[in-house]
Amino acid sequence: MKILVCLKQVPHQDARLDIAGDGAWIKEDGIKFEINSYDSFALEEALRLKDAGTATEVIVTSIGPDRVTQALRTALGMGADRAVHVKDAAVDGSDALGISRILAAVAKDAGADAVFLGLMSDDSNATAVGPMIGELLGIPSATGVVKEEKTASGFRVERELEGGALEVVEVTMPCVLAVQTGLNQVRYASLKGIMAAKKKPLDVKTAADLGLTGRVGASAAKVKIQKIYAPPRGTGAQILKGSADEVVAGIVGKIKELGLL
Amino acid sequence: MTILVVGEIQKGVVREASYELIAFAKKIGGELRGLIIGSGCGAEAESFAKKGAGHVYVADDAALANYSVDAYTRAIKAAVAASGATTVLISNTPSGWDVAARVAAGLDAGFVSDAFNYADGAYVRRVFNGKLDARVVSTAATTVVTVQPGANKPFEGSADGKIERLAVDLTGLKAKFIETKSAGAKGHDLTKAEIIVSGGRGVGAPEKFNEVIKPLADALGGQMGASRPVVDAGWLPHEYQVGSSGQIVTPKLYMACGISGAIQHLVGMKGANYIIAINKDPDAPIFEVAQLGVVGDLFEIVPKLTAAVKAAKG
Repeated sequence: MKILVCLKQVPHQDARLDIAGDGAWIKEDGIKFEINSYDSFALEEALRLKDAGTATEVIVTSIGPDRVTQALRTALGMGADRAVHVKDAAVDGSDALGISRILAAVAKDAGADAVFLGLMSDDSNATAVGPMIGELLGIPSATGVVKEEKTASGFRVERELEGGALEVVEVTMPCVLAVQTGLNQVRYASLKGIMAAKKKPLDVKTAADLGLTGRVGASAAKVKIQKIYAPPRGTGAQILKGSADEVVAGIVGKIKELGLL
Repeated sequence: MTILVVGEIQKGVVREASYELIAFAKKIGGELRGLIIGSGCGAEAESFAKKGAGHVYVADDAALANYSVDAYTRAIKAAVAASGATTVLISNTPSGWDVAARVAAGLDAGFVSDAFNYADGAYVRRVFNGKLDARVVSTAATTVVTVQPGANKPFEGSADGKIERLAVDLTGLKAKFIETKSAGAKGHDLTKAEIIVSGGRGVGAPEKFNEVIKPLADALGGQMGASRPVVDAGWLPHEYQVGSSGQIVTPKLYMACGISGAIQHLVGMKGANYIIAINKDPDAPIFEVAQLGVVGDLFEIVPKLTAAVKAAKG
């Protein structure tokens, strides 16, 4: 079984988010990036299947400029076998469907039996790409996966529902599993792994290589962000100012006022 | 322009979020059509129709008794074809987000996820885990939109109800529902706690919960809680998690320490009577729902607060 893991590189969770000049996204220069948290759990799950001998190959892919090489190298250092970097200015401005077309093409190209990725990304928060890849390839998908188990014909998965309930579903293979955070403990790349990763293949592909000329990128996008902005502030919290002792006295005063102390 | 609202049956009734979709559709404006998917769901479809959806398609089949991604994808696509809908509204619930993007890809439609508002021709949604808002426009012939549950008041009017049966091909399904497992009893029940002191990613390490957060909870006679990243990292078990996929709590006092306030956490605790937040980031969304806030280092504030509470109690 070959597993393709889709990794999105997103601004670091603690990165400063300043609005870009066009008002439609954030300024990306000078900030740190990291692998989308949801996707890192998907990668770990795939690597565990490889460690167990269930998967034969784990391929990682990412779309973006040169900086995403770092995410792919990290994944190779953690144990992935090879990487596909889709690097092409023509894919800039793709909407979720455009991104899904690219990833579906990479999956097909790689002959993947399963596609693992996160439920959503920490930047767009869109919950779009997993199901879209499934639909484009005509294969089943499951989202919010908190547990998976290989069966003879595919996977038995547990999907997270509201309030901690779970839904058990069986899907045939090939399939797409979009995982929830927390389904495993994500490993770190070892020094040995990082050294070994330098020798692992990292292919670079363009939209044309994937047969997607004109079908991805800004011109093909049907959905666009018009504007991005800080949420309008309500009255918000009353902020206590002063020394630590002063704010502590303020909090204690409030708790007493509430009749809880 | 026709808007299809996809109702969702939960515990035998059309859930409130489905009526929020009708209210959302009214903001967009256009001809309304509804869809109910299930088995033996004629009464639910009729109720949805009369309570505002109007003309409701019903996909009623034993194979639709439980949610299945490919069966529900086909049912929604069939309803889009039958209604000629240009906009499809689906609640952003676990089944909603599982099916919606598939429908969009299948129809070559535009897709907008988790919109909480529609204004001036654009959908408004949160991005960057609640830190920023985005106005999104679609130029597609058909647009599929998931709508954040709880963000719009449910529609409360009525309509002339009409039911139309919808035929859906349910052969050769590749995803099979097995069972639903309920959440089960919690060893650490936060739903009845009067005071909850919760820690987030800002607490930084598992041992800090017992060293910093729990002593304050104990001093106040309350319980300790946590946000999702803490549980995901394995610092505390799931039964400590407050949020949409953890416990929904309504204490008299909720203290959020080092919690930025991602939407899924806010859903779980915004019903608290009083919220105090301590966070080093002045822009953290948690300060929007809190009544009292401290912008500062929780490791400096919380131990002093614990000592002060103990002193006040004598």
